[in-house]
Amino acid sequence: MAQRTVALPNPSGLHARPAKVFASAAAESGAKVTVSKGEREVNAASVLSILTLDCHQGDEITISVDGEDAEATLDHLVGLIEGGLGEETA
Amino acid sequence: MTTTLTGRAAAPGAAVAPVFVLRTDVPASPIPERRRGATDAEVARLRSALDAARSQLAELATKVAEEAGQSEAEIFEAHAEFTADPELANLAADAIEDGASAERAATSAFDTFRDLLSASSSEYLAARAADLDDVRDRVVAILQGRTTIVSAPEERSVIVARELTPSQTASLPKALMAALVTEMGSPTSHAAILARSLGIPAIVGCEDLLETVEDGMHVAVDGRSGELLLDPDEQQQADIAARIEEEEARQRELDKLKDQPGATADGHRVELAANLVSPEDLAPALASGAEGSGLVRTEFLFQERRSEPSVDDQVGFYTQVLEAFPGQRVVFRTMDVGADKPLPFVERDAEENPALGLRGIRLHLDRPELFRTQLRALLRARAAVAGTDAGRLAIMFPLIAKVSEVLAARSHLEEVAAEEGVDLDDLEVGVMIEVPSAALSAQQLAQHVDFFSIGTNDLLQYLFAVDRLQGGVADIADPFEPAVLRLIGEIIAAGHAHGAWVGVCGETASDPLIAAALVGLGADELSMTRAAIPEVKDALSQLTLAECQEAVQQALAAGDDAEGIRAQLAAAFTGSRGA
Repeated sequence: MAQRTVALPNPSGLHARPAKVFASAAAESGAKVTVSKGEREVNAASVLSILTLDCHQGDEITISVDGEDAEATLDHLVGLIEGGLGEETA
Repeated sequence: MTTTLTGRAAAPGAAVAPVFVLRTDVPASPIPERRRGATDAEVARLRSALDAARSQLAELATKVAEEAGQSEAEIFEAHAEFTADPELANLAADAIEDGASAERAATSAFDTFRDLLSASSSEYLAARAADLDDVRDRVVAILQGRTTIVSAPEERSVIVARELTPSQTASLPKALMAALVTEMGSPTSHAAILARSLGIPAIVGCEDLLETVEDGMHVAVDGRSGELLLDPDEQQQADIAARIEEEEARQRELDKLKDQPGATADGHRVELAANLVSPEDLAPALASGAEGSGLVRTEFLFQERRSEPSVDDQVGFYTQVLEAFPGQRVVFRTMDVGADKPLPFVERDAEENPALGLRGIRLHLDRPELFRTQLRALLRARAAVAGTDAGRLAIMFPLIAKVSEVLAARSHLEEVAAEEGVDLDDLEVGVMIEVPSAALSAQQLAQHVDFFSIGTNDLLQYLFAVDRLQGGVADIADPFEPAVLRLIGEIIAAGHAHGAWVGVCGETASDPLIAAALVGLGADELSMTRAAIPEVKDALSQLTLAECQEAVQQALAAGDDAEGIRAQLAAAFTGSRGA
C-alpha cells in the first residue's frame, strides 16, 4: 500500500466540484483508494464521503492506495491535488 | 378568452412567461418500510431510480446552463453527482439486504449523509445537506411513480405559490424567476420584500390563484397594478412589452440621479439608504445610489446556519458591508429572530403566537451569550475599519417595548466593550420603534439613544392588530391611515426634542408619496429596498421641504381615512411638481 499526506491548496476547500474531479480519478484508477483527515478515513471514490471530511484550504489530507501500481496511481492522484483539481489555486 | 386575477402590487415591473406552481402543501404519500420482493430485485429497483434521478438532474443542469448560465447550473450538476455516489448506493443496498424497502433504504442513506454534512459548522456543507433532502425527495418520488415533486422550474417562469418563505424564495435560481405571484401575503411579507430587492415583479394576496392557474399556462404579470392576465392575447402581450420598454427607459433616466445625495428641491438633506439582507445585496444597493444602510438585517447571517456563526465569520460580513459604503452610516440591527424566524441552533419551545413571543431584544436578554457574541463581532468590525474611510458602524436593537430593555441592552454593550478594551465614544446606538408601547414612550426612550428607526412593517401589524401575512385583513393596516402618520409625526418630534435623529426603515418608505409625507413629518433618513431609492430620490428632488410639510399637515387635517389622505397627498404633490 502506498500513502502520502498533502496540504489542500484549494481556496474554498474540497467542495463539490474539485471533490468530483478527485473521486472520478480515484474510481477510474481501479485501485482501492481512501482519503483521510484526522481520525476519519473514507472511500475516495465517493464525493459525498469526501464532503463529510469538511476539508479546508491548508488542511492535511492523507491519500492511501491499495492495488496494482499503487505508487504510480498515488503519484497521479497527489499530482491532481497539487494541481488544484481543476481550480485556480494561485 | 382572457381572464384577469387581481392581487396587491408587491414589486414593480412586468413579465410574460409560463406558470410554474411551487407546491409545498401536498404531502408525499407514506413510504413502505419493508421490501416485498427479493433483495436483488429491490436493489435493482433502487439503482434504476437513482439512474433516473441522475438523468433528470443532468437534463435540468444542461437546460439551466443554456438558459441561465453555467453558475446557476452547477447546483444541479452536484445533485446529479450525489445520485451516482458509490457509498450512498452501498449504504442503501445494505439496508435492503436487511429487509428495508428501496424507498426506506434510499431515505436512510441520504439522511445519513445529510446528518454528517449538517454536523459541520461550514455554511457550504449545511447548504449541501439541504440539497440532499431535495435529491432524496426526487428519488423517493421516482420510486413511488410520482412525476411531480417540489423543485426548481426548468425554464424562466412566473413562480406561483400559496405562500413563499424567504428561504424558498432565495433558493430559487434568480435567472429562472420571471415574476412571483402568491395567493397569501401582503406587500410587506418577506417574499415581497425579497422580490423587490431582486428586482423581480411580484403580486401577493391574489385570491383564487391556485384554483385558476396551472403549470405551463401563459400569464402576464403587472407588478404595478397587481394584475395577472391569464393567456393574454397578442395585443395584450404587445401592451405589456411596451410597458416593459417604457419602464426600462424611465429606469435609465433615474440612473442618472445615482450619485446625487437625497434632498428636497430646496436642498434639505434626507439620507436615502438601503435595507440589506445579505452580501449579495451590496452591489445592487451601490448601483442604486444608496447612501449607506439604515437597516442591515443580520439575522440572515444566522438563519441559514446549522450552527452559530463564529465571531470571525460575523466580523468578516460586517467589515465587508462597512467597506462597501465609504464615509456613510451603516446601521446593523442585532438579530431579530424568534419563533417566527427560528434558528436551527437555538432550541426553544414552539409558540402559539410567534409575532408576540420571545423574539428580538427579548431573546437577546433571555439568551445573552448569542447577543454578546454578536456585539463583540460588531465592535471588532468597527475596530477593524477604524482609521480607514469605510462606513461608520451604528448598532440598533429590535422590538424594544420599554426603557428597561434599552438599559439592559446598553449594559451588555458596555460590558463587551470593556472586555474588548474599546470605548463607545461616537458609536451611535439606536432602537427600532415598531411596538406601540415604544412609540408612546418615545420621549423617554429618546433620552437613552442616539437615534430611532421606525420599523413600519411591524408597527403597522401591532398598531392595527393585523397579521401582515393574512390576505383577508392585511389591507386594514394601511400606512396612509391618519393614525399611522400622526404617530410617526409624534415619534419624530419626540426624538428631535432629545437630540436623536429619526429614520424610517420599513417598506413604507419605498412609496414616493409616503416618503415625501415622512419628510414633511421630519424624518432625517429613509431606508428602503434598494430598488425604490431612485424613484424616491427623484420625487423628493421635485418638492421643497415646506411643500412636504404643508401637504402632510393639510392631509391630516382634512382626511379621515387612508383614501382621503392618499388623495390629498397625491393632489398636493402633483400640484407642486407641476408648478
